[in-house]
Amino acid sequence: MIDVRNLTVRYGDTTVLHGVSLAVAEGESFALVGESGSGKSTILKALVGQVDDWQGQMTLAGHALQPGRRADLARQVQMVFQDPYGSLHPRRTVDDTLAEPLAIHGIKGRDARVLAMLDAVGLPRRFRFRLPHQLSGGQRQRVAIARALMLEPRVLLLDEPTSALDVSVQAEILNLLKGLRAEKGLTFLLVTHDLPVVSFLCDRLAVLRAGRVEEAAAVATLRAAGLRSAYGRELLERSGLV
Amino acid sequence: MSLLAVDNLRVTFPSDQGPVEVVRGLSFALGRERLGIVGESGSGKSMTGRAIMGLIGAPGRVTADRLEFEGRDLRNLPEWEFRKLRGARMSMVLQDPKFSLNPVIRIGDQIAEALEFHTQLSASARRVRVLEALEAVRIDDPERVARLYPHEVSGGMGQRVMIAMMVVMEPALMIADEPTSALDVSVRGQVLDIMDDLVRRRGMGLLLISHDLNMVARWCDRILVMYRGQIVEELGAGALNTAQHPYTLGLLASLPKLNEERATLPILDRAALDGFMAGAAR
Amino acid sequence: MSAHEMNLRDWLTSDDPETRMQARLGQGFRLARALARNPLAMVGLVVIVALLLIAAFAPWLAPFSPTEGVLANRLQPPSATHWMGTDELGRDILSRVIHGTRITLMIVVLVAVIAAPLGLIMGAVAGYFGGWVDRLLMGFTDIFLSLPRLILALAFVAALGPGIENAVIAIAITAWPVYARIARAEVLTFRNAEFIAAVQMQGASSWRIIGLHVIPLCLSSTIVRVTLDMAGIILTAAGLGFLGLGAQPPLPEWGAMISRGRSFILDQWWVATMPGFAIVIVSLGFCLFGDGLRDVLDPKQRSKG
Repeated sequence: MIDVRNLTVRYGDTTVLHGVSLAVAEGESFALVGESGSGKSTILKALVGQVDDWQGQMTLAGHALQPGRRADLARQVQMVFQDPYGSLHPRRTVDDTLAEPLAIHGIKGRDARVLAMLDAVGLPRRFRFRLPHQLSGGQRQRVAIARALMLEPRVLLLDEPTSALDVSVQAEILNLLKGLRAEKGLTFLLVTHDLPVVSFLCDRLAVLRAGRVEEAAAVATLRAAGLRSAYGRELLERSGLV
Repeated sequence: MSLLAVDNLRVTFPSDQGPVEVVRGLSFALGRERLGIVGESGSGKSMTGRAIMGLIGAPGRVTADRLEFEGRDLRNLPEWEFRKLRGARMSMVLQDPKFSLNPVIRIGDQIAEALEFHTQLSASARRVRVLEALEAVRIDDPERVARLYPHEVSGGMGQRVMIAMMVVMEPALMIADEPTSALDVSVRGQVLDIMDDLVRRRGMGLLLISHDLNMVARWCDRILVMYRGQIVEELGAGALNTAQHPYTLGLLASLPKLNEERATLPILDRAALDGFMAGAAR
Repeated sequence: MSAHEMNLRDWLTSDDPETRMQARLGQGFRLARALARNPLAMVGLVVIVALLLIAAFAPWLAPFSPTEGVLANRLQPPSATHWMGTDELGRDILSRVIHGTRITLMIVVLVAVIAAPLGLIMGAVAGYFGGWVDRLLMGFTDIFLSLPRLILALAFVAALGPGIENAVIAIAITAWPVYARIARAEVLTFRNAEFIAAVQMQGASSWRIIGLHVIPLCLSSTIVRVTLDMAGIILTAAGLGFLGLGAQPPLPEWGAMISRGRSFILDQWWVATMPGFAIVIVSLGFCLFGDGLRDVLDPKQRSKG
């Protein structure tokens, strides 16, 4: 579903990614783990065309991507961002936000689809005409997930979707994501620094450090604390300790 | 004698629907120890820290039966007296160093500012104290770092600079509000170690405010769990497994764990919890 | 009656509107309520509403003709018949001031309609695309900004010929660069926000994003700025009128009236002073209302509402 080969990204003089390769099968949930500056978010940005200049090959849902061109893959791949406060337009109601992708692609049946999606992400229908400032962080993140699913994409890119949320709300969102994946057969590519979240939501993971893949492993290896790379072990240790 | 004594602390903000109490009758005492306050957003934990520091401005209102710091009544302390206290005897570390440091002033000068305001030290004596403070937060070459601007240092280094800024005055009480949540996991440990070290060696009292139950549990002598402006439970060091209150238990259960496989995470039942709280109050 | 009122109020302030219509009305109601709590803004609003009403009913309100005078009555001081006195041609100054509201209002509205959208679009496009588009548009804007406003307007009127329409065009041409600058600065603050990235990812065209997502966010600051600028626009129009390049006689334009009254300022003070009062009051009204609007439309303030 996602195939990245030898991806190199430079911002000016600094190289953010040094020839990263990874492959995610259809229906799989794959995690990119690493600290800030490891380049994990850059991979997501490159996949959705938010990075202009890159080298290497990327294939997404069977479409080869080209640097500097934003491929029209809106109906294949969508993204959920970290910050539920910055990812919703402050002057548009939940209804406006959810209906926008339908309007862009000329899809009919706005009311029915919006209501169905509110049900799917567990938002009460009475929230439909609220503005973002009338919602809590968890509710906003549900709106962001609903927005990403409006076009029924096959791939969902998740950029630290729960790290800005409270623990009890994180559990709700993680359950929702897991349920939606099972129900709709979605492919997940998740960026996080939280190993327990990976263990809950993912099948495989790659450990990134300074723009390189240090290690790729199945989640069972992670659960058994069996990461081999030096950095992988360090992450394990610190997640346990701190 | 305890360093800080708080009895029935209340913080109220007006709203369209009438006054809203964000801290509802908090009581605790702090000695020369590490006390953790844990709660989720909206629990009133940050407001508690700000109320003690005298940082809640109008239209917010702070009341308490007792609010004493080093035997001094903080209630109705005039702002100019509070200003002498803040930074000198009590100080606060905030979440994100990026927003707390002035971007156009060199780090060394920013740390020296508090000394300039609160003490009569000469410029060269101030400089010595600044370098000492930077060394105390385990910065290897304090001379170089003192000359840098905030944007030239990493997040972890920035947070250490913030702590250096706090300890340079050798306060008796340090309030740290989410001091590590903007930092990477690998530097969190370092920052916590440094704070721990300072508290032990200098005999400070520390109030650590955080949402991270596990971190606070591992790291503090005592923990207060806050929910909706009240303390629901007090726990000893490393005694999370003895937690009794449904809120604490619910929080612990909803955390994903590394070495287990659950289909769904249990969700905090807020309605049942509020029912329990109402029952307990009666 | 009272119960019905309460229900309407609850319906408007409901956190869970049932229809799009109710949501929009509710937002409007909250804005209006916040504005109503600001007494100075209300004073400004009263002035503006009075201006609108006087302009609408000018022929019925004015006791005399604004253009025809009785020469025998020239330069009469304020009296029971002529509340503001008469000018050098024996025309009733009150009637002229009342009819002058129409001209003032026309200038204000035309300038707002021309300059604000132009500036808003220029600024939003420059801020959204960035790069060479930004440099080109903003370079163009800066050329206009670097010239003094009244002088530029003068140059345009001189080139186009004196007259009220040309004065409006000249003022509009000199007013838009400010809005472009403000809109661009505003766009830059959220240009890289995730909600913009999200619509890009949904496949929206750049024009759709600018029109539906970017401009609505700049709208409130532009509205505030336009309201605050109204005073300046009225003064510029009056300045052009004063210099004889705006409205031509016998049109009762306030600036032109002051200009005519200048010759008698020492002995017949009311000729120049009365239209001067009108300018001050209307300018102040727009300023106060603009200040109130700014407090209400500021998004940081609004989240509390």
